Amino acid sequence: MFLRILDRLEEILIASLIAAATLVIFAAVVQRYALGVPFLYQLVYHINLTWAQELCVYMFVWMAKFGAAYGVRTGIHVGVDVAVNMLEPGPRKKVVLFGLLCGALFTFVVGTMGAKFVIELYPTDQVSPDMEMPRWIIFLCVPLGSYLMCFRFLQVAWAFWRTGELPHHDPGHVEGVVESPAAARDVAR
Amino acid sequence: MNSAIIFGLLIALMLTGMPISIALGLTVLSFLFVMTSVPIEAVALKLFTGIESFEIMAVPFFILAGNFLTHGGVARRMIAFASSMIGHWYGGLGLAAVVACALFAAISGSSPATVVAIGSILLPAMVKHGYPKRFGAGVIATSGALGILIPPSIVMVLVAVATGGSVALDPEGKRVLSASVAQLFMAGVLPGLILATMLGMTTFYRAWKNNYPRMPKASWLEAVRAFRDSVWGLLLIFIVLGGIYTGAFTPTEAAAMSAVYAFVVAVFVYRDMKLTDVPKVLLASANMSAMILYIITNAVLFSFLMTSEQIPQAMTAWIKDSGIGWVEFLLVVNVLLLLAGNVMEPSSIVLITAPILFPIAVSLGINPIHLGILMTVNMEVGLCHPPVGLNLYVASGIARMGITELTIATWPWLVTMLIFSPWSRTSRKCRFGCHGCSECCDEPYRSR
Repeated sequence: MFLRILDRLEEILIASLIAAATLVIFAAVVQRYALGVPFLYQLVYHINLTWAQELCVYMFVWMAKFGAAYGVRTGIHVGVDVAVNMLEPGPRKKVVLFGLLCGALFTFVVGTMGAKFVIELYPTDQVSPDMEMPRWIIFLCVPLGSYLMCFRFLQVAWAFWRTGELPHHDPGHVEGVVESPAAARDVAR
Repeated sequence: MNSAIIFGLLIALMLTGMPISIALGLTVLSFLFVMTSVPIEAVALKLFTGIESFEIMAVPFFILAGNFLTHGGVARRMIAFASSMIGHWYGGLGLAAVVACALFAAISGSSPATVVAIGSILLPAMVKHGYPKRFGAGVIATSGALGILIPPSIVMVLVAVATGGSVALDPEGKRVLSASVAQLFMAGVLPGLILATMLGMTTFYRAWKNNYPRMPKASWLEAVRAFRDSVWGLLLIFIVLGGIYTGAFTPTEAAAMSAVYAFVVAVFVYRDMKLTDVPKVLLASANMSAMILYIITNAVLFSFLMTSEQIPQAMTAWIKDSGIGWVEFLLVVNVLLLLAGNVMEPSSIVLITAPILFPIAVSLGINPIHLGILMTVNMEVGLCHPPVGLNLYVASGIARMGITELTIATWPWLVTMLIFSPWSRTSRKCRFGCHGCSECCDEPYRSR
């Protein structure tokens, strides 16, 4: 139950971040050009969007950290699997588990370093240049995202150990493709 | 010595099949921890600031724009347009496949998705028309890779990101700036068109020799209708290139505008997608972008380690002392990139190799833009040559052919690509008349 809520939260967070970042930059560009049009100038001149770029960057960094954790769950982080796939099933399982646990180790170390960094930053009053947001809040995504990613690696490793299944991402998935003879006939006429 | 340890560790970790980003990060951490006194805390900062740049954010925007238009409906429109234009020539459907792949790949930005979208519609149609299946599968597997070279291309953004900010000196000791996204996009147009033409010529020649069927000539009205249907998708390329070229947008802004445009076209103009499908596209794009951004983060760490160990400088000095000329250097680089293309996906290769190759290439007098295009072309060939080209795998799935058979099927086009490559490689000057670089123009296009 708790896991399901976590999954949904993760998905909602990254999907809304990418949507919001797009809209922010779109709005900033539109506003910049609207300033050049006399009758629109009156409407938009008092809106200050100089912080748009900075906000976009931070939103994407947050998206990247949490999206990387989501990516472990969907199996999008690919590696060089030529050598591993040539192994016998027994050793292969060990090597794959080793890889997953290395992932967990790395993200745990990074998360801890990030947490230390945020704790050191917390008492200072460093703020971001444009939005003047406290830096420690912005950096919070490093420990949170990395620990989440570590958890996802352990989750995947556990599932792999029990069932031998890895999440798999299909790079060739396209919506709306119909492999029907009718569609082929339309083109061939 | 240190560089041998670093690369040995990296390769050993990579061979276990762990994600490339993790292998990069773990190499850096263990090396710094065991071998040096560089404070590990410096790494924590890099983890965040590595991707804290507005330029990199073009990547998620382009992925989002591409995903909105990566849809079977868009593929059908591109195919209809291409076949109404050139379907009546020899090998009509084959030529249409090349053009449709080029257009769809440029818009969607994903080679495997192009192979699936175009292939699953055109391949049955070609078989039905009496083409051998091998012919169709070969055309589509190779043409699908065109998207990397035709802007907007994510690989080019990554080349610019990976080389940006590094200090490189030309043979006279002057500082050379790395290629910007805008310059690479401009420079990619012409080679992209030439390669598409060459693939088309190969298709035409084989179809003409074997007397493959031609389509009836489309009427004028049909052609106009097909154009009107496809033009909304094609405009995306012009928004990006035109916006950057006229200076209306920075590349990242152009990417964001194209994402909004793609959303409007997919949902309101083409109506392939319902508004309720949008969250799914957002999530898939976020997933993909986060993966690439995560590789970038760790690649930044890795190049931080390289710089602090002075490896690119050492390599540059070594190459200069050994008297290797730029021809030999480029040959070696090509072979190296092709080999790497066998086992890794393009974004990782570019992010790992570009920071090393860039200073060496510049010190031999090679134009940075040229190097960027060269890397991009190599990534493209690597996608469709055996044993593990991703396009081959995807194509073998939709054509239901084995990899070996498909390899035989693709060879004429693969050879075409390899012939194309030396033309684009045996020069250190930029040959593309891209209006982008200081080689051909008095006034270089405004750099970042």
